Amino acid sequence: MKNFLNGIKNYFKEFGTAVAKGDFWTKSSLLVMGMGYFGRGQIIKGILMTLIEIGVILFTALFSVPYLAKFGTLGTVQREEVFDAATMTKTVNDYDNSLLILLFSVVGMLVLVAFVLLYLNNIKKVYELQVLKEKGKHINSFVEDVKSLFNGNFHITLLTLPSIGILVFTVVPLIFMICVAFTNYDQNHQPPTYLFTWVGLKNFKNLFTNSMTVSFGYAFVRILAWTLIWAVLATFTTYIGGILLAKFINNERTKCKKLWRTLFVVTIAIPQFVTLLLINKMFSDNGIINGLANQWGIVDALKEAGIIAQGQNGIPFLSQPGWAHVMIVLINIWVGVPYQMLIATGILMNIPNDQLESAKIDGATEFQIFWKITMPYMLFITGPSLITSIVSNINNFNVIYLLTNGYTTPNPTMANSQAKEIDLLVTWLFTLTNDYSNFKMASVIGIFVFIVCAGITLIGFTNLIKGDREEEFQ
Amino acid sequence: MKKTIKLIIRHIVLALLALFWLIPIIWLVVTSFSAHKGLATNNFFPKQWSFDNYVQLLTRPDTVCNFPAWFKNSMIIGVACCIISTIFVLMVAYAMSCMRFKARKPLMSFMIILGMFPGVLSMIAVYFVLREMGLTDSLLGLIMIYSAGSGMGYLICKGFFDTIPISLRESAKLEGASEFTIFTRIVIPLSKPIIVYTVINSFLAPWMDFVMARLMIKSKNPADWTVAIGLFNMLQKTLISEYFSVFCAGGVVVAIPISILFVIMQKFYVEGITGGAVKG
Amino acid sequence: MKKKVLSLMLVAAMTATLFAGCGNKDEGTTNNTPDTQAPAAEDSQAGGDTAEDPIANLIAATEGTVALDLWCSETPAYQEVMAQIVENFKQTYSEVDFDITIGAQSEAECKDRVLEDVTAAADVYVFADDQVTELVNAGALQPVEATYTYNPSETNSAGAVDAASVDGKLYAYPLTASNGYFLFYDSTVFSEEDVQSWDALLAKANEAGVQVGMEMSGAWYLYGMFSGAGCTLSMNEDQSNSCDWNNETGVAVAEACAKIAADPAFINITDTDFSAKLAEGDCNIKAYVDGTWRSGDIQAAYGDGYAATKLPTFTVNGAQVQQGSYAGYKLVGVNAYSENVGWSMLLAEFISNEASQLAIFEATGEGPANTVAGSSEEVMASPAIAALVAQSPYADPQRVGGKYWDPAATLGKNLAEGTVTDYQAALDEAVAGITAPAE
Repeated sequence: MKNFLNGIKNYFKEFGTAVAKGDFWTKSSLLVMGMGYFGRGQIIKGILMTLIEIGVILFTALFSVPYLAKFGTLGTVQREEVFDAATMTKTVNDYDNSLLILLFSVVGMLVLVAFVLLYLNNIKKVYELQVLKEKGKHINSFVEDVKSLFNGNFHITLLTLPSIGILVFTVVPLIFMICVAFTNYDQNHQPPTYLFTWVGLKNFKNLFTNSMTVSFGYAFVRILAWTLIWAVLATFTTYIGGILLAKFINNERTKCKKLWRTLFVVTIAIPQFVTLLLINKMFSDNGIINGLANQWGIVDALKEAGIIAQGQNGIPFLSQPGWAHVMIVLINIWVGVPYQMLIATGILMNIPNDQLESAKIDGATEFQIFWKITMPYMLFITGPSLITSIVSNINNFNVIYLLTNGYTTPNPTMANSQAKEIDLLVTWLFTLTNDYSNFKMASVIGIFVFIVCAGITLIGFTNLIKGDREEEFQ
Repeated sequence: MKKTIKLIIRHIVLALLALFWLIPIIWLVVTSFSAHKGLATNNFFPKQWSFDNYVQLLTRPDTVCNFPAWFKNSMIIGVACCIISTIFVLMVAYAMSCMRFKARKPLMSFMIILGMFPGVLSMIAVYFVLREMGLTDSLLGLIMIYSAGSGMGYLICKGFFDTIPISLRESAKLEGASEFTIFTRIVIPLSKPIIVYTVINSFLAPWMDFVMARLMIKSKNPADWTVAIGLFNMLQKTLISEYFSVFCAGGVVVAIPISILFVIMQKFYVEGITGGAVKG
Repeated sequence: MKKKVLSLMLVAAMTATLFAGCGNKDEGTTNNTPDTQAPAAEDSQAGGDTAEDPIANLIAATEGTVALDLWCSETPAYQEVMAQIVENFKQTYSEVDFDITIGAQSEAECKDRVLEDVTAAADVYVFADDQVTELVNAGALQPVEATYTYNPSETNSAGAVDAASVDGKLYAYPLTASNGYFLFYDSTVFSEEDVQSWDALLAKANEAGVQVGMEMSGAWYLYGMFSGAGCTLSMNEDQSNSCDWNNETGVAVAEACAKIAADPAFINITDTDFSAKLAEGDCNIKAYVDGTWRSGDIQAAYGDGYAATKLPTFTVNGAQVQQGSYAGYKLVGVNAYSENVGWSMLLAEFISNEASQLAIFEATGEGPANTVAGSSEEVMASPAIAALVAQSPYADPQRVGGKYWDPAATLGKNLAEGTVTDYQAALDEAVAGITAPAE
């Protein structure tokens, strides 16, 4: 944190020096960004910089300003229309669209922020040039600059396109989403016909209000707990399952390794959503598994034993809490283990043989070798990816959504918040936006999902890649 | 003697496990050959066999099912995405792993943080960004969505690059090679397994996604859909009784290109990581 | 193989009637257009005293191709008949060049897709009437402020018009009136007396070793049990609900539901699962509460025994009470953001006019909302429609806020599975959820 603040301090200090000590060319760059380059003979670079400046100004003036001006209110003019029955046409007033105002204000602001950073940087660069010139040192020609983009500054070349992609399709939507959490964007305030506006922290308060009617808090806590349990279970069961299966198949006593491996890999070849929907249908209350279980008298036997209720048509694999929780984890093992098996196979074959040999000579059992050598090695290599897979399991929409299509919760309090026991935070959030257009609460939940994930990652990463272990590898 | 028994038990366990894993797949395949179009609830194997589901799927496009068009759309998206995503991932991973610059650490943390926001929620915003670009209802729009953020998936690839001995790069530098040359001539040729991994993953993503695709493709004309939207649509309440077997056939047909990809790539996927190119 | 031949013949028969129907209608509409349109237009234009015909105005004002998007049900039967109707529409207004695309979008989910982005949704879309308030609330429906070829408020049944209106203002054109539910049964197993009450029905089913089904865990079906006994559920202006199911009658109804569900012959099964069982051929469910959309499947399965009737009565506090239901309609809406409002309105009118409604009935078996079409001989000959008509005095329009569905489904599930011990508490909780403020 301190470093960070110091960094900012230095940044502005450098800028200050540049402005204070700059000569005419440097100072005039405050106005026209390319001037500093013109003065040192870097004509093309100067033109490019000036063009960027003009571009940003035009973009802001023509595109952003109309939106930014309304950012404070998110629009005031509601849509009104008049239908003329005689000509069968209608006239519509020039109305505001809160959603677009918010979204493009975010875009406009990001462009401005990026421009300010570029601008500050530019002054410093120009000042550096001035210093170089004063010392009579070599100043890069344009060709040399371009060349450096493939050598010393290669990272700029590499990162530009991916960064733009991430900015436009991840960062902008995300900031938008965070903003929505502070508005009243819900089914009664849907753009383009209606306006929504800022409401401050009201939605966050709502989440923790616990009364009979507003039971969001009740549902939230339960869903959060299940989300975490699920993420940990889903990650570790498939992880360990994958390693065990890989070990089992790669054991020297196993014949036809390739055949076995292929049998498991076949399941990956069919798109996940197909297999998940299929499994959902197989295990539904009146699905094929229950049909067979009925024919073989298993359902009746379970009813006799009191394991399932009399009113059930079959085994409630995916329709009762408890049953559904277990099934989802099992099915996820089914889905995930072949993947992990493949990855583990690769890594396992990589374990330095000398370690294994010496352990064997020392008389270690296979079990000991597994826990003392194999697992630490696996964890060492795959640690970071474990964290990311916990995070991606927290956001694992497909498995839950596709498997629990048609699940009704038996818990009325959950139902009152449009939630189900087997919902993850993300699927709950999807129901809220998709079925109930309740974007404001969904955004609030989204922010909490983020906080949870961030917490886990922080803990995980500080323990796993502390002290720049990446250098160690190399 | 004891050894043989152990050996047999080992293989029986494996066979049972494999069977367990294959049951849904077997059901998918046998149902795709069923003459009964609806969902089977009492018989695992169809009573009557028929090849008609495949014929319908491939040659009789109707208002519900236009598989050839879906397949074409998904194929275009899949191939384009896998090229763009793979390039992006390699680029970001190289910059983060092999180069040292000021913004590196902050950028890395920033991307980790970004990855934690639930994407489901920001979909609607993505949609409006795309709409403003005039790219909804187009394959290009979907390609952009699937590949634009792909740079964030660089972590595994970076981990791999980290294991490439630094001496290799340094000696090349001494010989006057630029970073660009090192990237294209040294690092990439050594990275076959991770490229394969990235290619497979990024090729698969568009085949699986229906939530995002359904939002971005507004057209309700089946010819404009992707495989995922189309197959998902077939399981709607009103259609499932007529199209379940066709859905299964669709699942099997989709598996073909993916399986081919795997068969070709599996060699690298596994052997590549183990081949010793990594640990010099 | 036999089955296949049968289904082929059915398809052939259906297409034949379809074409016959369309052929007739073709002549009818094209001949009538010039005469009938003008007076109707004059009638319906309250304020406008233009001497000219608005349609002629519109045609004159239209330049180039008119591109219209139409969303309707994804089932092949619907798509086919809609394509035919659209063809007729083009012929009727042959002066204008149309480019009409028909999209497949289930009416049940229409609202979700429209609200994602109203401006990108179809110009004209068919949706189920329960979505009308939410669509109006989001400003997605163009109110029917004027009509040109016929007046939907007069030609359609009062219930249908009511379902298409919000606060007395008509927002959509009624299309079908058969989205409600009633009882299908196999008359080779049950007699007409047996299907009068749940008690008799279940007794006979037990005797015959067959099952009787209903999706009690579905909020939509559950409503009928409570409404039949006189409990109320209605939507307030702010889209929250008022509900009194937790009164004494309600408790008695809940107990009655649980009692029915506990009967060994009763099966709580969804419509989709039921149809899957039917299609497989060895279905033991011989009576089921469902709607016209399944009539084809059920007829194929029950064969000669195929019959339908109003819902049975059930016992509440020792008295027989008629089970109620929701009446359901399919409506044609015009997108308020359509760029061609005029043509969209005309297309919507055309799709929902008498002839088109009849064509849809012939193709899909769904009952027309139009009173003339609805009372035509062919329509009345359908047992499903007759049952629907018999049920209609006990059917309520579906006007309920979004908070109803989840709590009620949970209540239904718990009743159906027999897990409720304290009925009063269960109902209190459900009512709390149902009446929660809409946000």
